[in-house]
Amino acid sequence: MQDIFSSLFEMTAFGTISYQTVIMWLIAFVLLYLGIKKKYEPLLLVPIGFGVLVANFPGAEMGIVDASNIDLGDGRYKNLFEIAHEYGILNFLYYSLIKTGFLPPIIFMGVGALTDFGPMLRNLRLAFFGAAAQIGIFTVLIAAILLGFDLNEAASLGIIGGADGPTAIYTTIKLAPHLLGPIAIAAYSYMALVPVIIPLIAKMLISKKEFTINMREMDKKFPPKHKIKNLKTVKIIFPIALGTVVAIFVPSSVPLLGMLLFGNLIKEIGTSTSRLADAATGPIMNTATIFLGLTVGATMTSEVFLTSKTLGIIAGGFIAFALSVAGGILAVKGYNLFASKKINPLIGATGLSAVPMASRVANEMALKYNPANHILQYCMASNISGVIGSAVAAGVLISLV
Amino acid sequence: MEQSLNNAFAILVVGMITVLLILGLVVVLGNLLIRITNKFWPQSENTGKAGSGSAGIHTGTLSAIVAAVEAVTGGKGKVTKVEKK
Repeated sequence: MQDIFSSLFEMTAFGTISYQTVIMWLIAFVLLYLGIKKKYEPLLLVPIGFGVLVANFPGAEMGIVDASNIDLGDGRYKNLFEIAHEYGILNFLYYSLIKTGFLPPIIFMGVGALTDFGPMLRNLRLAFFGAAAQIGIFTVLIAAILLGFDLNEAASLGIIGGADGPTAIYTTIKLAPHLLGPIAIAAYSYMALVPVIIPLIAKMLISKKEFTINMREMDKKFPPKHKIKNLKTVKIIFPIALGTVVAIFVPSSVPLLGMLLFGNLIKEIGTSTSRLADAATGPIMNTATIFLGLTVGATMTSEVFLTSKTLGIIAGGFIAFALSVAGGILAVKGYNLFASKKINPLIGATGLSAVPMASRVANEMALKYNPANHILQYCMASNISGVIGSAVAAGVLISLV
Repeated sequence: MEQSLNNAFAILVVGMITVLLILGLVVVLGNLLIRITNKFWPQSENTGKAGSGSAGIHTGTLSAIVAAVEAVTGGKGKVTKVEKK
């Protein structure tokens, strides 16, 4: 009888629950709470949170195993059937969809099909501020090395400053896959905290007078030189031309940027490719998001996550994010010193790629200071250029690190 | 660490220049495309709007009709006049 009870006890997970397991469950519950109740990036935090939970059920064998387990040496790896058989379905999904770098570009295709380059094309000079806002990525790269991270890890940490989830995940897969879980969590958490971070930095750096710079008044005083007479045609040619140019200059950014521009192209062509655009933004993107979230969550086993490096990533990610916002704001302030057509510095704060939340937050801030000062379309210009900027920055990091 | 720091500084400089260069190209390319399309494929002011015979039709209704015709004809058809009977 005692043997039966002993076997029954061994069948359960009670004997293998450690305090680390409980901590990971709590982290999973917090992520699920933030996603479900607080609605912080629910489409990602819910699958990630649940992925963390299932990965830390002792005995379930759903956590992602280290790559050394599937490495057979001499550049050979276990096949997907062996991985599924030995380590379970989440490892199968991780090594086939994430480790290969497949899902982030697929999500970028959907993002492209949801993106409208119109605001950027109408305000092209604002695209430069999407470049200034990438400074956080490269500054934190240096700071992370000083904190003891190696170059690959530091680059993956810095890319959080781009405020782009798929870009952060793609770069980390390429450079420091063992940090994928904490970096993805930090990236998406800070993106969800854009409504807190942008006002915090903006209030520190922007004066009341600058908050009230009215972009429409400026446009009336200094009208643009060229009016776009055929926006539809420009929007169709633009992704093709830009993709070609970027592919020549930064080929390593093409998996992300190429898919973004392809997604945008099938949207802009209109009715003849609308079915493709619908697929990219609907079933494909949703499926990719589920698998991405669950598998990224499943990388966060207690052995991987509960380390001092995770704390460094959480702190470093915030600094990267804040520096990127500050970089964009300071670039606009610098520009305003010399230009007669002033720009509201809030537009620089949206040079991150958190589209469209960053723009919405900046617009709301501008409206607080002047209820007639709608800057959303101007913010979208630098916001969209920020998507391009962070993908290019990721390409540079992947090439040079 | 010194070697890593040197590399990181180099990446900072090269990275920021590359991002600026690419977004500079976005600006140049965008302006170029706008000029070319303005010169060779300008859309008349009336495109997307029906002709003068459409007076009296609510603009929202008119836009819906124009969009529907564009969707059904794959962008080839144009609404020139909408009349109430």
